[in-house]
Amino acid sequence: MLLAVLVLLVISLGATGYSDRILNAVVGEEMRGLRTTLAQTIRDPDELDQTLAVRQAELEQSYGLDQAWYSRLPGMVARVLTFDLGTARTLRSTEGSNRIVDIVLERLPNTMLLLTTSLCITAAFGLVLGVWLATRIGSRLDRLVSWVAAISYALPGWWTGILLILVFGFALRWLPTGGMFSTPPPTDPLGRLLDLLYHAILPILTLVIVSIGPSVYVVRTMTMSVAQEDHVTLARAKGLDERTVRNRHILRVAAPPIVTGLILGLAGSLGGSILVETVFEWQGMGRLYYDAIAGTPDEGMIVALTFMFTLLYVIARLILEILYVFLDPRVRYEDGRARAV
Amino acid sequence: MRGLSRELLRSGVGRVGVALAAILATLAVWVLATYPADFGPSRWSDPSVWADFPKAAPPSWTALLGGEPAQHRILSATEPAGVVTRGPAEIRTYAMPFTYRESEPPTFLSFRLGEVGYTGRPPSYSVVLVRPDGTEVALYRGTVNGPRPGEEPPYVRNADEPVRVLLSAETGAAEATAEMLAKAYGVTVDPADLRGRPEAALFGVPDGSGRFTPLHGEYRMEVRLAVADTTDTVSEVGTVVGGAVYGLAGTDTQGRDLMEGLLFGLPVALLIGLSAAIVSTAIGTGLGLISGFMGGRVDLLIQRSADIVNNVPLLPLLIFMVFVLGSQLWLILLVLVAFSWPGLTILIRSMILGLRGGQEVEAAVALGANKRHIIRRHIFPHTAPFVFTQMIFFVPAAILAEAGLAFLGLGDPSLPTWGQILENGFRTGAVFLGYWWWVIAPGLAIVVTAVTFMLLSLAMEPIVNPRLRRDS
Repeated sequence: MLLAVLVLLVISLGATGYSDRILNAVVGEEMRGLRTTLAQTIRDPDELDQTLAVRQAELEQSYGLDQAWYSRLPGMVARVLTFDLGTARTLRSTEGSNRIVDIVLERLPNTMLLLTTSLCITAAFGLVLGVWLATRIGSRLDRLVSWVAAISYALPGWWTGILLILVFGFALRWLPTGGMFSTPPPTDPLGRLLDLLYHAILPILTLVIVSIGPSVYVVRTMTMSVAQEDHVTLARAKGLDERTVRNRHILRVAAPPIVTGLILGLAGSLGGSILVETVFEWQGMGRLYYDAIAGTPDEGMIVALTFMFTLLYVIARLILEILYVFLDPRVRYEDGRARAV
Repeated sequence: MRGLSRELLRSGVGRVGVALAAILATLAVWVLATYPADFGPSRWSDPSVWADFPKAAPPSWTALLGGEPAQHRILSATEPAGVVTRGPAEIRTYAMPFTYRESEPPTFLSFRLGEVGYTGRPPSYSVVLVRPDGTEVALYRGTVNGPRPGEEPPYVRNADEPVRVLLSAETGAAEATAEMLAKAYGVTVDPADLRGRPEAALFGVPDGSGRFTPLHGEYRMEVRLAVADTTDTVSEVGTVVGGAVYGLAGTDTQGRDLMEGLLFGLPVALLIGLSAAIVSTAIGTGLGLISGFMGGRVDLLIQRSADIVNNVPLLPLLIFMVFVLGSQLWLILLVLVAFSWPGLTILIRSMILGLRGGQEVEAAVALGANKRHIIRRHIFPHTAPFVFTQMIFFVPAAILAEAGLAFLGLGDPSLPTWGQILENGFRTGAVFLGYWWWVIAPGLAIVVTAVTFMLLSLAMEPIVNPRLRRDS
């Protein structure tokens, strides 16, 4: 799965000649610099050209430009898979390291903070509100939620973020307009943590706003579908109290699809976080992505980040499949393969 | 289909959705009919078109919230209102009247002179403001560029681009204003104090405390052009009385009327949403039908690839692909489609597996129907409402994805879209400079369009999932 994505990335980089173009630009840049330095020591123009040509060939060889893309890039895949992500061109970590793995690992916790917090809030609200609404289908409140779900889905996260900045950051001046720490940042650890949380309120709020509507709606619809199954009617007919019916007979059955929905929502949040981090100047992987694209594109960084995002997603799916074993007794793993009984 | 429209109109959500969709469609048709197809390069991205517009002006309706800012007036004249002939020479007077009623003075005055053709001496001109009380202020005097050595008549000047003069910034305008104040009101003002902002004095009466109360009434900008030969031509003269507000949506820092960009963005957004939706539903349904009906290796291949494509986080890959392939609109659409068919394929396949074992298909087979007939007549019709709902549901997703890409700076540069206008504003720092109209309106446009389709698909849900209907 992961490998497939990576191969897809590399092929699209290579087959479109994009990788060659970027590397050529880099070599060209270096040659220009070299020419000005050498021109001061070597006077004879022919000799200068010769020296430069030799140097260019060396450079091209070191970047692998003398080989075709398909022989150069498999090495890249292997390196990425072993987290040997190479070095970034201009982006640096706070300690000044230019190794991509350092930069990405430095940003990863920042992204995870946003994603997990907002996902937990969304899931909690979605479950509580959704189940509660499922008992009130067709009520005025329920119709209202349909509207809210539609609007929430249609809200682009980045625009919502801008609106929140305009309202809470500039008009009301309650919350910071971006960044992760105040300047200068507090020195004691507790102060730092509080400052971080203070700056995280708006980005998290943004992510929650754009995902909560669909989340509530999905839970409501799933729960309601199950609530109309015959076995629920039977349970009620047996005289079980409403609480037992809800917990044992409705939620137990509705749980697997609900969990699927929530985890799949993470995929949306992953993408959303790129845009939201950009808006809030949150120094996470999303912002890093934006920085890698803007200006002089950083090929290695982009491949690495796409890989990291996919990896995060695959991990989330893995958690989902493990959860399935607990939630859905029909799913059992035998011989390392999922089998529906 | 009739059932569909009935279902749509049954719920409040559906009625609002249909109404919004009708409004959007009408607007889009109107825009397509009135806007040039190459609106992007020929108008939106051409700074000379927007030279006479106020820069970063909020929308006009903000005047309703308080204050009474000056309205923006772009005046022009092609035919002289009066001509005085003296032998071969003549003086043409171009008059551009306007009414000034606001409580704030205009923000600037500027003058432009279009194409001029002459044979002998270069024409000279003066720009005069005539106030309601009849006083005249000669703001500017100029002469068209003379012949170059060796150039043969007729001489043509300003052919490509009119000459523009920012009258407010001219020393002469400040001096003339000070002179007018001294003559008409006996007030002495240092011209240096008026330099750059003579408008309050030009459009007001001194109130004795060094300030001016606005003088409302009929004003006239006059351009008096002296030509040495009656055959000399002038295509157009114009003046701009700068406003603090503009249009329904305001302008950006280049003076572009945001309303125009927003309106043009509508058919573009609909095009993106609908075409991506139609193509990807077609592919998704087609592959699903094939996969479900053929079975075997084809089924396995399609389902495996659907699994892979379905399991990648969309936006990072979308960014990556567009970044590598380029940002032409059709490429963006292609990439969008390429990553959005699998969900439907998997669903359709599972529906078909159910239908295939059903009695209807069994009966058809027994009657000797071939595979194609069965798919077309006995399987596809059952999935059709579902496919249609999915298609509508996919429209906002495509619009939002394109807007997100454009916001990251990966939009098609030749077509202004809402996402690009927003990106432009965000990158210029509109959020921090307080140009809220620049970022709120395009986002709102995206939301309204996306909500329209969301409401439609919500209203159609009971068709797909009849259980939802029971209690509502």
